[in-house]
Amino acid sequence: MRVMGKTYEIRDPIHGFIELNEWERDIVNHPVFQRLRRIRQLGLTDMVYPGAMHTRFEHSLGVMHVATKMFDQIVKRRQDFLETELSFTAGGLERDRVLVRLSCLLHDVGHAPFSHAAEGLMDKDPATNKSYKHENYSAAAVAFLMQDVIENHPLNQNYKITAQEIADFLNGRLALGRVLLWRSLVSGQLDADRADYLLRDSHHIGVAYGRYDLNRLLVTLTIALDPETESPVLAIEDGGVHAAEALILARYFMFTQVYFQHTRRAYDHHSVQAIKHLLMEAQRGGDLINKEAFPPPTSRENMEQYLKWDDWRVLGMIHHGLASGHGDILLNRQHHRRVFETPEVPNTSDLEFAEQVFAGLDDLVSFVDKAESSWYKFESADIPILLRPGQGDEELTKLSRLSTVVSGLKAVSRTRVYVAIENKEEAREKVRVLRQQKEAQA
Amino acid sequence: MKVSLDIPWQRYALIAELAQRCEGKCPQFGKTVLQKMVYLLQEVFHIDCGYDFDIYAYGPFTPQLLQDLDLVEHTGAVKIHPVVSMTGGYEISPGGQAAALIEKGSDFLNKGEVKKAIETLVDEFGHFWAKDLELRSTIIFVQRDSQKQGKLLSADDIVEIVKQIKPKFTNAEIRDAVEELKAKKYLEPVA
Repeated sequence: MRVMGKTYEIRDPIHGFIELNEWERDIVNHPVFQRLRRIRQLGLTDMVYPGAMHTRFEHSLGVMHVATKMFDQIVKRRQDFLETELSFTAGGLERDRVLVRLSCLLHDVGHAPFSHAAEGLMDKDPATNKSYKHENYSAAAVAFLMQDVIENHPLNQNYKITAQEIADFLNGRLALGRVLLWRSLVSGQLDADRADYLLRDSHHIGVAYGRYDLNRLLVTLTIALDPETESPVLAIEDGGVHAAEALILARYFMFTQVYFQHTRRAYDHHSVQAIKHLLMEAQRGGDLINKEAFPPPTSRENMEQYLKWDDWRVLGMIHHGLASGHGDILLNRQHHRRVFETPEVPNTSDLEFAEQVFAGLDDLVSFVDKAESSWYKFESADIPILLRPGQGDEELTKLSRLSTVVSGLKAVSRTRVYVAIENKEEAREKVRVLRQQKEAQA
Repeated sequence: MKVSLDIPWQRYALIAELAQRCEGKCPQFGKTVLQKMVYLLQEVFHIDCGYDFDIYAYGPFTPQLLQDLDLVEHTGAVKIHPVVSMTGGYEISPGGQAAALIEKGSDFLNKGEVKKAIETLVDEFGHFWAKDLELRSTIIFVQRDSQKQGKLLSADDIVEIVKQIKPKFTNAEIRDAVEELKAKKYLEPVA
């Protein structure tokens, strides 16, 4: 039975009205969620695109809204398939819908100040020797700090959804069993996260690059078995091929024109270095801070300390001159300058030349930026497409097999080299000479 | 802190090396098989290739590997062809520049433990189809994931969890794969 009760509407610039029930409204009003009003969606992107002042708060509501539409569409079209082929039940699907809504709503509560930019300052997981991700912090915030508001609401009586389940969903834990299928709605080629941020970022920034036909995509969304692996995957019916193409192109343009824009990436670097300095200073002051990293998401105390960090706090400290040289760079907009970059898709010779340039610039290099270390990447897109749905001879193929536009797009693997503004002319001259030498050798 | 450029030649070379070694050995060395082979190389043979895998209903996956594959194809070290068959998908084969790219990553590929691990990987898993590798890599992910949480799963537990994620496989198919991995000591410890 679907959760009923009083509903509330929040006006949204992308989706019109976003509907919440009382339980969800209480979660939105929780301090952990309200903190998202103080985490900008795109960090310091406003240094390049002044309109980029929107926050994770509205994006999180948008992701919940889009994921629900996706979920409802899939169930409406493929309930028989879900029940007979994948062993879902009607009651189970109803509960999954609630779990998906809450997980999407909460998927970003663990973001660091300036969103993805500071993700490089997250501590290392000793079990994997890899840095924790914001999803791990989101899961920990839910599990350690939001248990009461999630588990003890009257509207949860029928579902008995636990904070741990939502944390497992966000972490991608296998304990979820078949529910893992729905994780593709928040993290995958066709996820609600991308579906929302492309439109929302375009809207606020004032560019048209991220626009695509969400409604067409939604009505053609389905689920099918991949013949290569016999695994269930989210797919688009063949009628939505061009909407899927538009989504891929939107991602490509937004990545190259906005997310990986060279000046914007310099500001990511400066903001990370400024926060790193502030973390060290905070440690000196006796906070529970782990050297140059945020505390690991392993305890309630750590999460309470971590969540005290938000954009307001960091910007205030920068404004008061506490963030050292990089803070001053941010205040005065004297960012490091790009003096060299490879093509978007480099070949061996391009990469070898990058190595020569790097060696030639030597100590002038302030930092190196790579597309692969960027938080929104543009990697190969292979959206599954279901041909002839409902005609008795369905076939699953890949968008890249049907679309010459998409098959021609390669993952962006550009590398850039930056120097301090005062070294820009000297560095550019060195690069120019190296380029001449290369051309002479050729 | 000293800034570095760190072109990941070893990752690019690994893709070319696997394409070369799997040619004529794998029934279809495609994008899915590449994902699962590299996952096994990292998890089972403990060779750090620099990838961070996440779990989906379709098994362990990292988009970084697809990104690298695009670049490696662009260098001419591999070719990627669409496959016209029931399974669909792609086939990756060595390209004209494979040897040159492998040479760029030779410091990594010629390390004793890396060389041995790749040889064993291709010998023991190279003959599988994508579907079989997906099942085996998911089983290993289930076991490793529980181990990280301090939980020791029995073979029955593993079968039950994998069956939920991959309902198209029969219990017998999953159990056979678990037993096979256990026998090769790739699934330790199991309760």
